[in-house]
Amino acid sequence: MTKEKKIPNILRSEKSGLIIALILMIIIFSVLTDGKYLLKVNIINILVASAIVGLVTIGESFLLICAQVDLSPGAVAAFSGVLVSILLGAGINMWFAMLIVIAVGAMIGFANASLVNYLKLEPFIATLATMSILRGLAYIICGGKAVFISNHAFLKVGVGRLFGIPYPVIIFVVLFIVFIIILARTKFGRRIYMVGGNANASRLAGINAHKVKTQLFMLTSALAALGGIILASRMSSGQPTASDGLEFDAVTAAVLGGIAMMGGKGSLGGALIGLMILQGFNNGLLMLNVQSFWQTVARGLLLVAALTFDYIRNRKNK
Amino acid sequence: MGGTLEFKNITKEFPGVKALDNISFKVNAGEVVAMVGENGAGKSTLLKVLNGDYIPTSGQYLIDGKECNFQTPQEAIKAGVGIIYQERQIVPYLSVAENVFMEEMPINSAGLIDYKKANKQTQDILDEFKLPFKPTDRVKNLSVAYQQMVEIMKSYRRNPKIIAFDEPTASLSDTEIETLFEIIDRMKKGGMIILYVSHRMKEIFQITDRMIIMKDGTYVDTLNTAETTEAEIIKKMVGRDLGDVFNNLERNHKIGAPVLRIENLTNDYVHDVSFEVRAGEIVGLAGLVGAGRTETMRSVYGADPILRGTIIFDGEEIRPVTPADAIKKGMALCPEDRKYEGIIGNGSIKKNISVSILKELCKFGFIDRKKEIKIGQVGITEFNVKTTTMDKEIKDLSGGNQQKVLLARSVATKPKLLILDEPTKGIDVGAKTEIYKMTCDMAKKGIGVVLISSELTEVLGLCDRIIVMCQGHITGELSREEATDEKILTLAMKDMLGGQGND
Repeated sequence: MTKEKKIPNILRSEKSGLIIALILMIIIFSVLTDGKYLLKVNIINILVASAIVGLVTIGESFLLICAQVDLSPGAVAAFSGVLVSILLGAGINMWFAMLIVIAVGAMIGFANASLVNYLKLEPFIATLATMSILRGLAYIICGGKAVFISNHAFLKVGVGRLFGIPYPVIIFVVLFIVFIIILARTKFGRRIYMVGGNANASRLAGINAHKVKTQLFMLTSALAALGGIILASRMSSGQPTASDGLEFDAVTAAVLGGIAMMGGKGSLGGALIGLMILQGFNNGLLMLNVQSFWQTVARGLLLVAALTFDYIRNRKNK
Repeated sequence: MGGTLEFKNITKEFPGVKALDNISFKVNAGEVVAMVGENGAGKSTLLKVLNGDYIPTSGQYLIDGKECNFQTPQEAIKAGVGIIYQERQIVPYLSVAENVFMEEMPINSAGLIDYKKANKQTQDILDEFKLPFKPTDRVKNLSVAYQQMVEIMKSYRRNPKIIAFDEPTASLSDTEIETLFEIIDRMKKGGMIILYVSHRMKEIFQITDRMIIMKDGTYVDTLNTAETTEAEIIKKMVGRDLGDVFNNLERNHKIGAPVLRIENLTNDYVHDVSFEVRAGEIVGLAGLVGAGRTETMRSVYGADPILRGTIIFDGEEIRPVTPADAIKKGMALCPEDRKYEGIIGNGSIKKNISVSILKELCKFGFIDRKKEIKIGQVGITEFNVKTTTMDKEIKDLSGGNQQKVLLARSVATKPKLLILDEPTKGIDVGAKTEIYKMTCDMAKKGIGVVLISSELTEVLGLCDRIIVMCQGHITGELSREEATDEKILTLAMKDMLGGQGND
């Protein structure tokens, strides 16, 4: 106990390693790019690139803390992008179309949760199935071809700016902050930790674990649908091939941010730092003209490095 | 033969608990030595040390005078240690021979398994043990007793120096026990060292030469079986302090109106269970493991479905479908399996206490943190949880302190009925005493308490009334005054002696 006191608080915190890693990364890339890395334009680039995966990261973080996982968000986003494009093409009001798509997303989440809660499928398997179904449906409803969007107001969603900040960044940052507070301070957030920490014990303590899981799957799919809408707007089209592997980027960010796959542990703030490291790294490599294939390799190495660090720190704490 | 097994100053510590404290004794080849003691005395822990499952914190153990330091069960097996556990370690879908030769099936010149040889050698052991089944029988088709014999054959086949039995007769009938004893006798004459862990006095007197008495992880005494009596053993086993503990308890004498009445409760495990619990009363549910006590109360608590029957709680007929329902009505449960059903390991002490009352702590969905801290403090103080901060993760506490946190969680809901399922399992004596006191305090507050416990001293010392169950139904009810060890045990085994048999 006395020994611990000498170490400053910040270093003992779960997020200390992450923050140091983030700062180190920023310094290194800034030096290597002669400071271009830190220009406002580039920071906004990083945030825009983070927006869609960021929305899904919120959902995956919640699910992982609850000891669940969802493999379908990429497919849900693609399906939603195509669906919103078709609805817009049919002349439906833009806000109404977006609402329908997000509601459909939530229903998909409800289906995922039902498979997990009532058929007792492992979430990995259940959402693997829905992933495949939705990706297939995304192709089917558009006949395999991209659906172009001509609704000008809708196209603003992805590229419009407020005070110079693109809408997607505003949506992502605001939602992230809201959900950080929800997770840390509300009954709903606490229940996620309790169910993830020990589902049996939570049930006996009076928590309805099924309900919590249902809410989380619905939230994740709804956020993925929103991500799909934003992406469609940015690409001015609904593409059935879009967002491949989106869920894995989100899980990578969450795990980088210190959220344990076994549940009950981690924070959304950590996941946000994880996301920034992941996207900042991609962006840095891009600026240095590293071949994009290497970015994929680097992402894997980053994850191994983060988990190794985590393992060593946990062992020391014992 | 002259083989020996010697424990020298073995100590095994777990975080917060000393499971074994300076244990020393020696056993010689050709004798059967019993290890006797209450639950939690450390018998199983010591066997796990011998088996390489646990590495002792300090001390040493020697086989034939040579110091051993097993890191894994495999090393222990190689060195000649065979342990037969209560839980069977067999593969039900394989044949008897395949189970007996498990890790080293004989191989023919082509490198394939030589079933002929395996079956032949298995048959030899079967003949030696005079057992009627065949090497090719599927183990899952054998009776529980024969499955146990397969287990023993598996150890015997490895030709061990030491063979240890952990409650081997728990599921055996009298004739089967005779067969087992013949086998043990043969092993003894063959020069093996035999350790025998059992609660059953009759067997200990019948089969053992000496007995090692253990209590709360310490060595108490060694007695020669021929020169001792049951009374002497029990006195040494229990020690004096537990008796004093119960005598010093301030019990509640104001017993009120019925809180819970169940009538003909039937589920998948129990049939037509009916009883009543009054406010301020401590009702014990006694019986052997598997008698249906936990299953009864889980149904009452809404954790498991009910097939038939009525539950009248606080004057109103209810049928809780989830534990949340039951909590709302005013029940609380401290489950038997602390780790898997009780604590939320990564959660702090505070969060573990508040989990059942989150709704009350909330304003517009936000947790009132000041209120939560207050509830946490009250819980920690009232239940004397030993910790520096309520933000510590509960998994880092000792078993006793974890249990106290769970009690605090239960009481935070202000229950009218509290169900305690084996509340002192695996807890050291100090914490046990505290939990007994807390149980009485809760009765004094007018809470009806249902105490499920396999420790007879506890049931006898704490309860106002004792209901005994056997094989899914109630076999009797005893008042505090009339209850004795013997009466409870007779009722707990009533149906088994009655020849209904277990299926």
